[in-house]
Amino acid sequence: MNAPMSDREKALMGMGESRLRKEDARFIQGKGNYVDDIKLPNMVFMDIVRSPVAHARIKRINKEEALKIPGVLAVLTAEDLKPLKLHWMPTLAGDVQAVLADEKVHFQMQEVAVVIAEDRYAAADGVEAVEVEYEELQAVVDPFEALKPGAPVLREDLAGKTDGAHGKRYHHNHIFTWDAGDKEATDAAFANAAVTVKQDMFYPRVHPCPLETCGAVASFDPVRGELTTWLTSQAPHIVRTVVSMLSGIPESKVRIISPDIGGGFGNKVPIYPGYVCAIVASIVLGRPVKWIEDRIENISSTGFARDYHMTGELAATADGKILALRTNVIADHGAFDACADPTKFPAGMFHICSGSYDIPAAYCKVDGVYTNKAPGGVAYRCSFRVTEAVYLVERMVDVLAQKLNMDKAEIRAKNFIKREQFPYTSAFGFEYDSGDYQTALDKVLKAVDYKGLRAEQEVKRADPNCPTLMGIGLVTFTEVVGAGPSKICDILGVGMFDSCEIRVHPTGSAIARMGTISQGQGHQTTYAQIIATELGISSEVIQVEEGDTHTAPYGLGTYGSRSTPVAGAAIAMAARKIHAKAKKIAAHLLEVSEADLEWEIDRFKLRGNDDKFKTMKDIAWAAYNQPPPGLEPGLEAVHYYDPPNFTFPFGAYLCVVDIDKGTGDTKIRRFYALDDCGTRINPMIIEGQIHGGLTEGFAVAMGQLLSFDKQGNIQGNTLMDYFLPTAVETPKWETDYTVTPSPHHPLGAKGVAESPHVGSIPTFTSAMVDAFAHLGVTHFNMPHTSYRVWQQLKAVGIAI
Amino acid sequence: MEVVLDKKYPVAAGLDAGWAVLSNMHELATCMPGAQITEEIDATHYKGSVRVKVGPAVAAFAGTIEILILDPVARTLKMMGKGADKGGSSASMELTAKLVAAENGHSTLEGHAEVIVNGKFAQFGGRMMTSVSDMILMQFAEVFSQKAQALQGAATSAEGTGAASAAVFAAPIVAKEFNALAFIWALIRKFFADLFGRKN
Repeated sequence: MNAPMSDREKALMGMGESRLRKEDARFIQGKGNYVDDIKLPNMVFMDIVRSPVAHARIKRINKEEALKIPGVLAVLTAEDLKPLKLHWMPTLAGDVQAVLADEKVHFQMQEVAVVIAEDRYAAADGVEAVEVEYEELQAVVDPFEALKPGAPVLREDLAGKTDGAHGKRYHHNHIFTWDAGDKEATDAAFANAAVTVKQDMFYPRVHPCPLETCGAVASFDPVRGELTTWLTSQAPHIVRTVVSMLSGIPESKVRIISPDIGGGFGNKVPIYPGYVCAIVASIVLGRPVKWIEDRIENISSTGFARDYHMTGELAATADGKILALRTNVIADHGAFDACADPTKFPAGMFHICSGSYDIPAAYCKVDGVYTNKAPGGVAYRCSFRVTEAVYLVERMVDVLAQKLNMDKAEIRAKNFIKREQFPYTSAFGFEYDSGDYQTALDKVLKAVDYKGLRAEQEVKRADPNCPTLMGIGLVTFTEVVGAGPSKICDILGVGMFDSCEIRVHPTGSAIARMGTISQGQGHQTTYAQIIATELGISSEVIQVEEGDTHTAPYGLGTYGSRSTPVAGAAIAMAARKIHAKAKKIAAHLLEVSEADLEWEIDRFKLRGNDDKFKTMKDIAWAAYNQPPPGLEPGLEAVHYYDPPNFTFPFGAYLCVVDIDKGTGDTKIRRFYALDDCGTRINPMIIEGQIHGGLTEGFAVAMGQLLSFDKQGNIQGNTLMDYFLPTAVETPKWETDYTVTPSPHHPLGAKGVAESPHVGSIPTFTSAMVDAFAHLGVTHFNMPHTSYRVWQQLKAVGIAI
Repeated sequence: MEVVLDKKYPVAAGLDAGWAVLSNMHELATCMPGAQITEEIDATHYKGSVRVKVGPAVAAFAGTIEILILDPVARTLKMMGKGADKGGSSASMELTAKLVAAENGHSTLEGHAEVIVNGKFAQFGGRMMTSVSDMILMQFAEVFSQKAQALQGAATSAEGTGAASAAVFAAPIVAKEFNALAFIWALIRKFFADLFGRKN
């Protein structure tokens, strides 16, 4: 009965344990249940007719030939959706987006019509047979061209509207101007500074490209008036609310289910025209409709990321103390502003761009612009626009170091927010919760022998016959995650809280239902560990359910590293409500006062007496069968957690590259990543998240690119061109950590999944530029493919 | 996707024979494998088609050609061709072609083409566009030269009889369909030939 404490602790498999992932058993046996695995009786299939051109007027759509194909049931166009007022829909950013192109197409691969057929093949044949006549218009793919006075009007539906969702529009292709910080103080600091630097940089358009593409199975029951839709969504509750608002079906009769999701990375946050059309088709036909997009459709038309043209400036003293930061951004949002950000932040959390540094004055300005490209602007494995912000500040600190001939580590140490300054309010108004940047940096520099690396680089630079260029990249980043406090963060008016409902069964096992949805994060594993530690119930008997809006409490979903900071806190708070009730029951059972009890791993015991105790298992049974007089039976709790602040994970990353002077081929010799995500819940899952984030960071920095030609044709929308690294290309990762808990989070946890993506991308660029730094190069843009690096080698005259 | 090409090809015939081919839209069109004129609207407007075969799939481009300049003195042709297929690709080409005299009574065909391709072809074939256009033009020039040569030969042999038979235009064997698989193979061969050629 009285097993040693360490054994009891171990048996819980709670927080801090590298518990194996509970999800993997089904995934590695092919027993996952994704949207495309859903098969319903009488189900039909949908496919989409897409525009071959980027900008054109639709003169005519002829459905007749398509309707003649055996198996084709219906062809829907904007004209058919008009009576339902569903040919346009609101976006998350306060704009509207065409569900099916209404008179005009605005980007290549835009949805023009849908074909519904008895089988997938007939649907595809139907798509081929729909005849659309286009009158081509001049396409605009460059946001700077779009803002010129005589540029073609892209959004004729907005003609004459000078007020956008985020203030004044000063040009027909302009969406918004958003700024933060103190412009006057910043300008004054620049005017008086001893040293200033300025650098233009382009963070190109990339795509999260999850392994599973987007899709839906919509099933409307005309008898009951109920709509059930299985959807690839990172935020099923928000989808339910939007679907109810658009369709007029009461929210209680709309059920959205996100089953297993094969990766999201922000791509599965928006609501896509395909979802809406599948739902409409199911309502019209009274049959379940399945729509699954293919890879080309996914890369071409769903939420892209980045596409920020940034100019950074720093003002500093002659000895490298930064006095001010100024940035100006032209943000290419594509044809519709469907950027996925909290409503009040059209540039997301871009104002985290003062980074880990104590900068007294700062100002940033972002202008959103329409172009003839796919809409989006999702947070690709990062909190909203944080990747862009971190890239900007880390590049600028390098540029300043180069100008002052200072070492990258030295200039960072000189400007860090010091440990004793936390909580720290940045010039942009963020209140950083906790941090210890110097300790993290020192640990990394020591681990890699930084001085030794610099000495080696000196020798190589001095040798003209050396066949390689060596570069050392260094980044000390701070993220802002866990959106967010509902007083400032909402999506379509819904505050960004999250929720947890825990029910402890009479025999001591439990179920937790959550407002989030895992897409590979391992929630079923880690959430159970939090409950295990909080309630003393083994995580092996705790079920975690997410993604079904009929059973889960309302939550805002999983993106922006918000699951642990927000939902993780909700779990702790719900568990603590149960803990408090359990204590009353234990006191009743032991016939002592609550004040005489103490908690020990899995039980309440009489203070100082190891033999008088009640385990949580005993208490659970009693909660249902012998509750104290006056206390209602049962042992469950719900908590909706509205975070008081964001969390601020940080890290120090170092990368060493060797570039072949003949070919531009780059070897990542070393990548050392130290992360501080506060309290660590499952070290193995953290390690996995960091490996995944670093690999996606490597992909973005070294190869991923969505490019367009002048006519707006998307180049490289297949996996033959779009770079998804496999084990063959991926470098070896070395990971490390420090622990600086968040003071305002119930568990001290900060969230981790996105830090490695945010932090690694500027580290690669820092290393690549560092290889050329002795030749006077301060920056060149991603992706650092061999060809582009070779062009750089040619440009400075050292290609061999 | 826009490609601009400036090319010169030798024609194994004199200026007059070359111009006879260049100024006859029906003949000129059939120099291109898989292409033909389907309708003559008036002296400067035509309808035409190009068939491209990739394995079992055939893409048929249908479009219009407009003659912008036809100058027999400068022996210069300027034309604009536009076309689209049903599968979502479209193309346009503005071509200026000029015949100039070369040695041995031969001539040179100088061409300047601005080609814009949109849709699926532009999405998937972007990186190949320049090489593909190059290859198409090379084949075009080869057939052109053969036709001009045949015409000149016929004209010479028929000298005195007063008429060059129109039938000689049919002399070169021109594919009715442009076979993309065979073409891609030729492209790969050329790529490696260029690669090793350059190293040497």
